[in-house]
Amino acid sequence: MSHPIIENVRRSLGRTAQTPLGLPPTIYESRQAESVDSEIERFLSEVKKLSGVGQKLSPFEIDVALETLVAEQNIRKTTVWDTPNLNLLGITEKLRSLGVELIPPNASKHEMALCDLGITEADYILPETGTLILHSSVEKPRAVSLLPRIHLAIIRPELLRADMHQVFAEAKDSHYLVFITGPSRTADIELTVTLGVHGPKNLYVWMLRG
Amino acid sequence: MNIMSETPTYINFEEYSEHVPASIPSAVQQATSRFVGGRAARVAELPQWEELRQIGSDIRLHTIENMDVYLTRLEEKVISAGGHVHWAETAEDANRIVLQIARENNVKTAVKSKSMATEEIGLNHALEAAGIEAIETDLGEYIIQLAGTGPSHIIVPAVHLKKEEIAALFSEKLGIYAPTDPIELARIAREILRGKFLNADMGISGGNFLVAETGTLVMVTNEGNGRMCTTLPDLHVAVVGIDKVIPDWESLTVFLKLLARSATGQKLSTYTQFITGPRRAEGEFGPKVFHLVLLDNGRSKVLKDPVGREVFKCIRCGACANVCPVYKNVGGFAYGWFISGPIGAILSPQMLGTQTARELPYASTLCGACADVCPVKIPIPAILRHLRRRVAQGDEFAQPSIPAPIRVSASIVSFALAQNWLYRFGTRLLPALMSIFKRGDWIPNAPYPLNRWTKARPLPPFTAQFRRWWKVRSSKRKRDSK
Amino acid sequence: MPRAQLFITCLGDQFYTSTLQNMTNILEHLGVELDFPPEQTCCGQPLFNNGFEDKTRAVALNFMRAFSKSDAPMVGPSGSCVSMVKHHYPSLFKAGGPEHALAVDIAARTFEFTEYLVNILKVTDVGAVYPHKVTYHASCHYLREMGLKTEAKTLLNSVQGLEFVSLKEEETCCGFGGAFTVTYPEVSRSMMENKVNDILASGADTVVTCEPGCLMNIAGGLYKAESKIRAMHIVDLLASK
Repeated sequence: MSHPIIENVRRSLGRTAQTPLGLPPTIYESRQAESVDSEIERFLSEVKKLSGVGQKLSPFEIDVALETLVAEQNIRKTTVWDTPNLNLLGITEKLRSLGVELIPPNASKHEMALCDLGITEADYILPETGTLILHSSVEKPRAVSLLPRIHLAIIRPELLRADMHQVFAEAKDSHYLVFITGPSRTADIELTVTLGVHGPKNLYVWMLRG
Repeated sequence: MNIMSETPTYINFEEYSEHVPASIPSAVQQATSRFVGGRAARVAELPQWEELRQIGSDIRLHTIENMDVYLTRLEEKVISAGGHVHWAETAEDANRIVLQIARENNVKTAVKSKSMATEEIGLNHALEAAGIEAIETDLGEYIIQLAGTGPSHIIVPAVHLKKEEIAALFSEKLGIYAPTDPIELARIAREILRGKFLNADMGISGGNFLVAETGTLVMVTNEGNGRMCTTLPDLHVAVVGIDKVIPDWESLTVFLKLLARSATGQKLSTYTQFITGPRRAEGEFGPKVFHLVLLDNGRSKVLKDPVGREVFKCIRCGACANVCPVYKNVGGFAYGWFISGPIGAILSPQMLGTQTARELPYASTLCGACADVCPVKIPIPAILRHLRRRVAQGDEFAQPSIPAPIRVSASIVSFALAQNWLYRFGTRLLPALMSIFKRGDWIPNAPYPLNRWTKARPLPPFTAQFRRWWKVRSSKRKRDSK
Repeated sequence: MPRAQLFITCLGDQFYTSTLQNMTNILEHLGVELDFPPEQTCCGQPLFNNGFEDKTRAVALNFMRAFSKSDAPMVGPSGSCVSMVKHHYPSLFKAGGPEHALAVDIAARTFEFTEYLVNILKVTDVGAVYPHKVTYHASCHYLREMGLKTEAKTLLNSVQGLEFVSLKEEETCCGFGGAFTVTYPEVSRSMMENKVNDILASGADTVVTCEPGCLMNIAGGLYKAESKIRAMHIVDLLASK
């Protein structure tokens, strides 16, 4: 027996529990991917349009880039996703050598909120909109991309998907997914665009190549 | 202006529209023209836009017509994902359910992400009455909560307030020095609300879509407050109208492409979350417990009307309001309930009944601009006419609610226009009668009911000489040809 | 020789005698044999748009009877009234009945004036001369219900000496909306003032529209704003020599 509200809906629609589901409309086709290089360019240019900072890096350039970021943004505390790719890059070791304090990604929310920088990967990226798509797990906690004032996502070309269709086909059984399209923004006061009103004010995206 | 979060008993649009605060039209028009421009730019980029609109419309219509199936599936999937589902028949039921959850979890403070469903049920009042602090965390909503007013625009609810007013409000209500710089004001709000997010016992949200396929709540926001509310407190309660259900993730690709483009002119809003049940492990953040309150509040009744129910195709982008010349001149308050603009004019009379909201279907010139931009092709002008018929002559869903004198006048007009001898007699009479009121080339002050026209501009004089001219000419031509 | 019946509309009948005379002259000059059924009154739109569908039927029947004595097309100087006949008449009567059949027939042969000129007679130049700066207000029903996006501008384009200037928010409603002007006079006033301000800012000395209702509203607004800008029905502009 369904809830009375469902019964009311049914009655209003002139249906019964036995009425079969009508034929759902077909969805239009997905956008087609271009070459990897042009998809990357497109992705990075969209990130830039959203006031994010995107760049292409080789794994050997990571250390220098981290050094620059830490110095420029005065990074003291950082939290990093605990994933094999980030571990392999030696991110935490490098940060420690720069004198940055590392907060474990599963630390309390109050500690996480004190971080200057949160470093994540992404699970998929969409070039058309410059979107990062992140799952959630103990190794990939949600707060890392949310609470620190700066979010850095280190990504790879393999994450490119042509359209949402492909992402959803792979990810719809995930219990949590977030699309991140640029840094936190509002225009609520006199329509003045303000970044970082609640979420990160700065978004950095490093595309690893080679 | 009062807070519009209580269910109104009569919406006096005429009265509200005549007392629009002077700051509203220009502020609202600044916002709407920005959004209209942004939307147009995004639409121009997407060659398949019209195709997307049609599919969006088809899916929404299909979902409405099969809503029982999708709601059943949704409930089952949310539960199997570890969430709790509650059904609320009325606004009071919904408030009671949320309060009970709050009490059971010993909640003292709740953080809220912007939600029209909780505005609709007046949840903030219910929580406050029960001693629970409920804090709006969307910057604009936070400002108007401090100010104690309703939203003037669906996307930028505090757009009618100048930065000076907001600074004064912050100083007064928060007891701090606040400069008149929007960026600085946003920073202050960030700091204050950050503390609230971290210490709140409960996060309350609405939802943009409910995906039946997997029991997923989809939330679209820009500021990140929505993520805070659903990531930091151990308890998340989402209050969502039953009309928000969609079949599957494939459909979602269509609506996510339509929504932000139509609303703000973004390709996608900054954050889109897909939440299926509570967190699975403590270390990942997210709530330990997830409750979904499915709100009926009259929706299931509205579904009976095959014409009117197309209103539930709405994805709340606000594009119709942004192009509506009526809305642009009166702002959000005048519509008297949580939803304004053309969509409010067709939703409120159906949900509240035409006795309460009979004025709203008339709050339009039927210009049709709304239907041009609606991303899911809601035939708003046709539904406005449909509801006007309900108000004027009644239908199977409601008795007529228009004042009797108007109905009598309409009968007289109808009679006079249908008996052409009477009309023609009047046409000969009117110029002479009205010439009494003529001053120069115009009639500056006409008698009732045309005095309501001449309040704003003069009336041209009644000439009505064409019929005679034609007759004279015709008989002259006949004579000439003989 | 093409034949047509004049559909003068009630606003035209009451307020715009010379516009109707000009319309007659232009059409006859183009070789159209005209007829004018005097039994016509109003198309019934004011009743229909305000929810009185039941009270619209009798008015529509009078209209249909008036025009069914001839099978010639109907031409009217209003997109809104023509749209009422064209798009809403058939919905007033039960499908299958004789009245519905008549409504469908009438709907199919009713045309708006500029539509009739450009799309039926295939005329874009009527030999008008009007050496002025002219801007254009796109009336809502003319534009959206009738879908007439280019016809008026095509005709204006061929007028000798005419300099066209664009109007900001050309497609935004002027606040007329029929009974709306008396139902919500203050909102109507604000909308009209927005429109008038845009017209004042356009730099034109003439504003033209294809709708008697908008014309009454805009002309009155310009007068109230003490502006010298002339508001004209397109028929009157096309009759200028």
